[in-house]
Amino acid sequence: MIRNYLKIAIRNLLKHRFISFINLFGLTVGLTCCLLITTYILNELSYDKYNKNADNIYRVTRSFNNQEGVVSLNLSTIAPAFGYYLPGDFPEIKKMTRLYENGTTPMKYKEKIFNEKNLFFADENLFDVFTVKVLKGNPKTALYDPYSVMLTEETAKKYFGDEDPMDKTIRFNSQFDIKVTGIYKAFPSNAHMHPGMLLSFNTLKDSAVYGERNLQRSWGNNSFFTYLLMPPHFSPQNMIAQFPAFVDRRMSGREYIGNTPSKFTKLGLQKLTDIHLYSHTDYEAEPNGDMSRVYIFSAIALFILLIACINYMNLSTARSALRAREIGIRKVIGARRKELIAQFLGESVLICWAAILLAGALTYLALPWLNKVSGQELSLGALLQWKIIVPVLLTPFIIGVLSGIYPALFMSSFQPVKTLKGLFRAGGGSISFRKVLVVTQFAISIILIITTVIVFQQLHYIQNKSLGFDKERVVTMAYTNEVSRQYEAYRAELLQNTAFKNMTRSSRIPTGRLLDNMGASVLSGDSMRPVTTDIKYVSSDYDFASTFGIRVTAGRFFSREYGTDTASFVINESAVKAVGWKNAADAVDKNFKYGNQSGHIVGVINDFHFESMHQAIVPVVLVMFPASQNYFNNLTVKISGSNIAPALAYMEKTWKKYFPETPADYTFLDENFDKLYQAEQKQATLFTVFACVAIFIACLGLFGLSAFAISQRIKEIGIRKVLGANVSGIVGLLSKDFLGLVGIAAVMAFPVAWFAMNNWLKDFAYRINIQWWVFVVAGIVAALIAFLTVSFQAIKAAISNPVKSLRTE
Amino acid sequence: MIRITHLEKVYRTDEVETVALNKLTIEVKEGEFVAIMGPSGCGKSTLLNILGLLDDPDSGSFMFNGIEVAKFNERKRADLRKRNIGFVFQSFNLIDELTVFENVELPLIYTGVKAAERKKRVEAVLDKMQIMHRRNHYPQQLSGGQQQRVAVARAVVNNPKLILADEPTGNLDSSNGNEVMQLLTDLNEQGTTIIMVTHSEHDARYSHRIIRMLDGQTVLENIMV
Repeated sequence: MIRNYLKIAIRNLLKHRFISFINLFGLTVGLTCCLLITTYILNELSYDKYNKNADNIYRVTRSFNNQEGVVSLNLSTIAPAFGYYLPGDFPEIKKMTRLYENGTTPMKYKEKIFNEKNLFFADENLFDVFTVKVLKGNPKTALYDPYSVMLTEETAKKYFGDEDPMDKTIRFNSQFDIKVTGIYKAFPSNAHMHPGMLLSFNTLKDSAVYGERNLQRSWGNNSFFTYLLMPPHFSPQNMIAQFPAFVDRRMSGREYIGNTPSKFTKLGLQKLTDIHLYSHTDYEAEPNGDMSRVYIFSAIALFILLIACINYMNLSTARSALRAREIGIRKVIGARRKELIAQFLGESVLICWAAILLAGALTYLALPWLNKVSGQELSLGALLQWKIIVPVLLTPFIIGVLSGIYPALFMSSFQPVKTLKGLFRAGGGSISFRKVLVVTQFAISIILIITTVIVFQQLHYIQNKSLGFDKERVVTMAYTNEVSRQYEAYRAELLQNTAFKNMTRSSRIPTGRLLDNMGASVLSGDSMRPVTTDIKYVSSDYDFASTFGIRVTAGRFFSREYGTDTASFVINESAVKAVGWKNAADAVDKNFKYGNQSGHIVGVINDFHFESMHQAIVPVVLVMFPASQNYFNNLTVKISGSNIAPALAYMEKTWKKYFPETPADYTFLDENFDKLYQAEQKQATLFTVFACVAIFIACLGLFGLSAFAISQRIKEIGIRKVLGANVSGIVGLLSKDFLGLVGIAAVMAFPVAWFAMNNWLKDFAYRINIQWWVFVVAGIVAALIAFLTVSFQAIKAAISNPVKSLRTE
Repeated sequence: MIRITHLEKVYRTDEVETVALNKLTIEVKEGEFVAIMGPSGCGKSTLLNILGLLDDPDSGSFMFNGIEVAKFNERKRADLRKRNIGFVFQSFNLIDELTVFENVELPLIYTGVKAAERKKRVEAVLDKMQIMHRRNHYPQQLSGGQQQRVAVARAVVNNPKLILADEPTGNLDSSNGNEVMQLLTDLNEQGTTIIMVTHSEHDARYSHRIIRMLDGQTVLENIMV
């Protein structure tokens, strides 16, 4: 019996090659997209799970609340003193381990100098908490001694080539030597951080580096990733509930405006395995993923599969008229209905099987492309686990049954007497159901068109919105110890060359984040009144405004002509509003205290987009600390002409002369700016590709369906032509029905698309308004696509010789 | 074998009511070869469909081998049909995607005969119909006469007690037609009951008895000598 079904199925597929091709191709492409997206999703869901203790590791987070209790800053890192006290105060903590990211640091071995970006100080018990394969050295002791360092194989290779790296020394930031005590295997790609170098935490105890006292007393330097290994079945809620008391106990004496510290500082716990998808703090080790992205792509995968299944249902039921006679004969000969149902389901399962095999091969071929577009390191290996393989192998059955059940029930219900007499016409109820299916497909397509357009509009908007500063021809480099010693000399020499307009130093640069905050106070009556809104600070020097092209709207910027400028502040317009001054001019010369430093506002600058468009512009104060306290991380150069290449060459040459121990690595500000939206850009690209695939499959289905619908009306077309209808009239007649369906689909799609995109746009502080014409255009595009698809068949039918079609009847 | 009494079948559309069978009473004995004749629309096809358990009457009784089957549901009818009745159609109704062998094999598959037994029986019947040499051909590769021989082979492969033939020679030239009629006669002589609807007086002469119908009723019965 099965063999017989199989035979019929295969012969039927071959006989109706066109429709079989559409079905098979649609399902294959649909399943390929699904497999690709599944690979991506599995990878997203797998982050940090490779750790043996994955389920018992938590990261301690800190958020800052303002007076009103609103979170103003949320960090995945905390101050070192918390880590110092936590294990003692919470005996259930099995281990506590910390990682402190040092920022870009020049490292030197013999003649090789590199700016190390992924450099972390790590507690010696790191490997007791995280699962890391140590290839050389003793994991128990390698991070114990101060000034010891462990490297990944890649990092070791970079410095030492084929030499044995063990016990070699590397010069750290022109400050001290560190000794290689171990080699470890790089953290896997699905880890939330990827240290390339691990320095012993005990190095920080040296007061020349950081200081033991600071490690125990600093509540302000929130730069320490702090992880806790907890016992199994640990409930984080209990511990979080005890945090406020802990904060008040340990931070006592740090009351602010009459409130206990716990009112402003909240500690939290994040499960290690939740970090990648659920953590959206203001500072993360690396850009994380997002659960909503996982949902969006799951939805797209399902959409595509649904469209492909609908094609199958549509074309099979449409084609059923051609098989009516076979069904009739089988029934007369003795087939029961369930046997026929089994036969037709078997056919659809067979097609799905063929499709999934092809899809597997296509996925293998397409994965490198997906990796390139998404910037991921996905591999099919992720699919090779039982809990994935079994569902994948079952998929053909599920899809086969889902998409075959309607055609099977429909066809097996044919009356044999009618089918054998040729009285049977595919029609009646099935047409309206098919219409529902086509409407669904087009609704999905229209939703995808609209969302794609809006995503691109928003991306265009944020990338072209006026930033309030000039990001063109601005080059940034690391400001290191070595640079700080010779900065003025280097600046003077460089600016003698007219290719350079200006140079400045700052703690942070636009396109970065604004996370540094100290309390601000203004004179109110006779006393200083604290400003309730947070004002973030940037440590800068005299040349910040002119280098970045920031406009001064009132007063003046810092200037070398005023000797006392270390007691001066420049604020932005948002800060003027936050304090409550009437306008920019009103703010100038006002008393202002920031942190411990008192002085005057000397100028107000325009609101500019320091951070990405996801963030609203916040109040900012530019501070010039005295030289002894200066705190700069970046050196920025503005090139004046358009002749960039020679300017850069000159800049590098001069750099090497002054700073032999700091590599002249530079980045362009406009490139940094583009990187801010890389995640969205990648998402948009993927989205577009998958949307096009979905629309294409839908069109394929419509193409097949219209071919069939028109073939059913061949005689009608013949008669109409004999009676005098012209080609355009007939094309219009045949296309009209389908265009009506597109219209209905559009009406259904609009609210869904609007709702979805309105939600998506909420992520941006600066966003476009959704415009009505996008919907109209999407509707027209869909209608046009439908019309082209249908009219291809319609024109063919309309220009055929009517005599032929009438004679064949 | 077959006894129908006061059988009625009415086709209704919104405006027209067509009486296809009007209190029809017929009896066919086992081993008979009966021809049913009459003008188009007289109800003979409806009668054949009801006799073949493809359609059910509105009222009246239909005894098949002593069992009342008029009220059987679809499943029961299908069961009875596949074990007892073979069909031969004017337009052959072979499945285009199956070979000669596979077409003839199909009824055996549905009655659950084992593969080895099926092969034996299909080959025997193809041999008998002298179409063995065409066993791996598809229907479109055969002449009309050959296709109808395959259809007859398919009708008899299950050894049915009754063969219903609906104008079996209607699409054939006279020599092929005669061959098919000879096949039916041979089957009848071996004991199979045959009921045949035909327009052809020539074909009807092969039967034992002709039932003539008009407007859903029998008007005349000729016994052939």
